Amino acid sequence: MEASANPALRLRGLTKRYDDGTLALDALDLEVPAGSFFGLLGPNGAGKTTLISAVCNLIRITDGEALVFGRQSGTLEARRQIGIAEQEPNLDRFLSVRETLVYHGGYYGMERRAAEERAEQMMEVFDLRAKRDVRAPKLSGGMKRRLLLARALLHEPRLVILDEPTAGVDIELRHELWRYIRRLHEQGTTILLTTHYLEEAEALCGEIALIGGGRIIARDSADGLKQRYEADNLEQVYLKTVASGRLAEGVA
Amino acid sequence: MSGVAVPRPWSGFYWLCRRECHRVLKLWTQTTLAPVVSSLLFIVVFGLSLGGRINEVQGFPYEVFIVPGLVAMAMAQAAYSNNASTIYQGRSDRFMDDVLASPMHAWQMNVGYLAGGAFRALIIGGALAALAVPITGAPVEQPLFLLVAVLLLVAGFGALGTIVGVHAESFDHTSFINNIVILPLTFLGGVFYSVDSLGSPWEQISHANPLFYVVDAVRYGFLGTSDVGAPISFAVLAAMTLGLLAWSQHLFTSGRKLKP
Repeated sequence: MEASANPALRLRGLTKRYDDGTLALDALDLEVPAGSFFGLLGPNGAGKTTLISAVCNLIRITDGEALVFGRQSGTLEARRQIGIAEQEPNLDRFLSVRETLVYHGGYYGMERRAAEERAEQMMEVFDLRAKRDVRAPKLSGGMKRRLLLARALLHEPRLVILDEPTAGVDIELRHELWRYIRRLHEQGTTILLTTHYLEEAEALCGEIALIGGGRIIARDSADGLKQRYEADNLEQVYLKTVASGRLAEGVA
Repeated sequence: MSGVAVPRPWSGFYWLCRRECHRVLKLWTQTTLAPVVSSLLFIVVFGLSLGGRINEVQGFPYEVFIVPGLVAMAMAQAAYSNNASTIYQGRSDRFMDDVLASPMHAWQMNVGYLAGGAFRALIIGGALAALAVPITGAPVEQPLFLLVAVLLLVAGFGALGTIVGVHAESFDHTSFINNIVILPLTFLGGVFYSVDSLGSPWEQISHANPLFYVVDAVRYGFLGTSDVGAPISFAVLAAMTLGLLAWSQHLFTSGRKLKP
């Protein structure tokens, strides 16, 4: 089957139990259509980051499978299609901004000249040019966040995974980032976004899945979710589904 | 956006090797200068100053006899420390995720990380030999054997560094292995003396020390003489290196400890 006919992401019975016994993903099923702007919402500990890590070869899957454009998630072909900006800035402390981007391009198979040209483009887009020779630990929080995004997008992945990309980012930068991500999506890139800003998810995402206790609780467009749960906004949906489950667990 | 079109399977490996060498050069005073200076001090203090009071060892002046062991010790420590620290830092700051998520084979990651330790150890070994050989007049009797011994040594100790870097829970763990295991075993492996000169049971006990064979193989390359015979030393060194490489490769292939 042609890879492009497949969904960007197909998870079947995806299960992750950590060595300490914590069940982070509980036979989770999810399909993210190619070309969609997909939101994944849930409280801390719901399994969002674990799900992303499973897709990106950053954790060992206990059971089930994850397919990226029809390829098994651990394969080189699948990994080549993904760009990830993790929640915590995990930038190489020995590399400058420019080096971070060029080396990343190299890791992902880009030719040196192509990686260098693309790094220049990304530094322009994310306003990092003035910091090109500064090493990552010396950057401000906002600059680190810009660099994380620039790195995730450098090799022009078909699936971009953004794990809380605007956490701790000022409003101006947040809007700037979203403008760029929107444009990227319009050009055909699939975006999988996790965020705590519900209004942001509502405004950006064509489809939203609510995750809790390692399972998908509900999945629809923002309007569809509001209709189903008779809510005025996504926050109410969230409180009626994910948060109420947590409160019930807490009371029990 | 169409994604990265053409797979270039060696690119990631090349850039990881380059990144590791880049790190060594960026920290050059700490990674290369300091070990060369401290090993040279050993040669000056123990060899040239005290050597006059010590009889020849295995037919060589003392300052010549200690050169191969000191080169081996410096290279082993460099290869080990480099890999233990780069892997531990990468894990602890999580910038290793960029490598783990990239389209690179597990063996490319393993060997790519080994490249930095090998690069650092070879700079130190080369610099030390270039300085110590003219100072002491130490010969290089078996250059081919020396090359093989050195390559096995850097691969083996680099792999040991990788293993410790993957398992370490704190930075102290990485230095603990160096200070409590590698350094004492190298000293007791005959860097400063021939184990032949030890009485029983110390001579036999020394033969149970794997670092003894490392020193002996490198000494054979320099001086053309060996305590137990070159084939035995090279066989033990090769077996040890292959075992450590297989272990470090297993960690990358299985993802155990590297990926939760």
